[in-house]
Amino acid sequence: MATSLTSSLSSTFSALSLRRFSLLPTPHHPTSLSLPKPLNFPSIKTQSTDIDTIYFENDDPDEITTFNPPEKPEGFEPPPSFDEGPQETEEQIALAYEELYGPAYSGESLLGNNVNVMDSKVKKTNTFGKVKKEKIRDGFEERVVQVRRVTKVVKGGKQMHFRAVVVVGDKKGQVGVGVGKAKEVVSAVQKSATNARRNIVTVPMTKYLTFPHRCDGDYGAAKVMLRPASPGTGVIAGGSVRIVLEMAGVENALGKQLGSNNALNNARATVVAVQQMRQFSEVARDRGIPMEELWK
Amino acid sequence: MTRRYWNINLEEMMEAGVHFGHGTRKWNPKMAPYISAKRKGIHITNLTRTARFLSEACDLVFDAASRGKQFLIVGTKNKEADSVAWAAIRAGCHYVNKKWLGGMLTNWSTTETRLHKFRDLRTEQKIGGLNRLPKRDAAMLKRQLSHLQTYLGGIKYMTRLPDIVIIVDQHEEYTALQECITLGIPTICLIDTNCDPDLADISIPANDDAISSIRLILNKLVFAICEGRSGYNRNP
Repeated sequence: MATSLTSSLSSTFSALSLRRFSLLPTPHHPTSLSLPKPLNFPSIKTQSTDIDTIYFENDDPDEITTFNPPEKPEGFEPPPSFDEGPQETEEQIALAYEELYGPAYSGESLLGNNVNVMDSKVKKTNTFGKVKKEKIRDGFEERVVQVRRVTKVVKGGKQMHFRAVVVVGDKKGQVGVGVGKAKEVVSAVQKSATNARRNIVTVPMTKYLTFPHRCDGDYGAAKVMLRPASPGTGVIAGGSVRIVLEMAGVENALGKQLGSNNALNNARATVVAVQQMRQFSEVARDRGIPMEELWK
Repeated sequence: MTRRYWNINLEEMMEAGVHFGHGTRKWNPKMAPYISAKRKGIHITNLTRTARFLSEACDLVFDAASRGKQFLIVGTKNKEADSVAWAAIRAGCHYVNKKWLGGMLTNWSTTETRLHKFRDLRTEQKIGGLNRLPKRDAAMLKRQLSHLQTYLGGIKYMTRLPDIVIIVDQHEEYTALQECITLGIPTICLIDTNCDPDLADISIPANDDAISSIRLILNKLVFAICEGRSGYNRNP
């Protein structure tokens, strides 16, 4: 029914995250209030004398062949089109908009609101030369994995930039890896932190703060093997793999970099490996069998 | 969500020419379920489906407006620019009339900077600050102001990212659609026979060349928004 699609859409509005919905033509059940002349094109086929028209075969059995709108309420008059009707003056338009949204960026205020209401969004430039380092926001901690100086050779000489790889995580199962390049180390670290905050994954963890099962992940030429460990082991892994696991909050794990040693690619490979892991309860639910079967 | 009556007449749509598609050679095979026939080298869309999608879109828009969501209408073809502006003003939504600047939504912080500049220029103009400058500077600032007015005039009341975006021609506004997809903003799109129906969230198969068909569909959506808004004003 149409209500299922539109109700799912309205429920997503109440949630803060906006997912993408798939467009499925919902099967339509004809009610008794159908139109007197449903427009079924295949039935017109026999009466048409237009030899240039070629009709497509509608193969879908659930197709929508009739359009049954709800009943017309009494006394309904179609509203005027937007270009007929009285043209509003600019003042009226500005007034209507300001009622809805406040003065925003229009530069004038007819209702007496403060015109500079959007100024609080602008970051005040510090009177001192140095920009203050921002505090840790959103509860995510950043750790720099690697900072490298990279060069681009141009006609005039070599142009140096810094490339920072940063892992961002709260110690509760969310991690993200980000890269950023800039001419200075500090701004490169900031860029990579914003990048990392955009690609965050959740790590499935058991109650002993370890993985549910072993997993391999690869990204590029870097291959990483992750294995759960009993409590008290700690994180036994090298380089960027250790940093990613620590920022995720995993306490006991074993990891090995099997392919290349590239820090960025190994960090990405651990993220790939972690994304492939499933909790036992999830798998049991998807397969429809009780969890005891999984341990046989 | 309740389904309401939106005065969608199939005869009215046929008069406006909503059922005409583009030429046969330019079609997108994904549109096959929405095409009913082929006549004289032009695809004809199935109006029952169009009516169905249009009423669903109106329901969604009505529901969102009654919750106080913000809309954005995007239509940049020369022919439609005026109707898009009028429709948006009537409905009280933001609109993009002229070229859609790349990154308008994904690079919202930079767009905000431009909007700040626009606002400052407007205040300057109002209090007469431009008359005190030498002629050349004043002319430069006036030119900047007119540029900002054409490109950002429709979104000058937009404080944050919109909640629903209505795009008039998917082929033309492909960048806008991609930006909404990356940001996860639901979109309602007018699809013609050469467009991809899977990209937008609600796609309405219609004719995007004829002004009458665009006006008809915009009329319905604007009516839905107005109704929803009036309901919202009474119960916020």
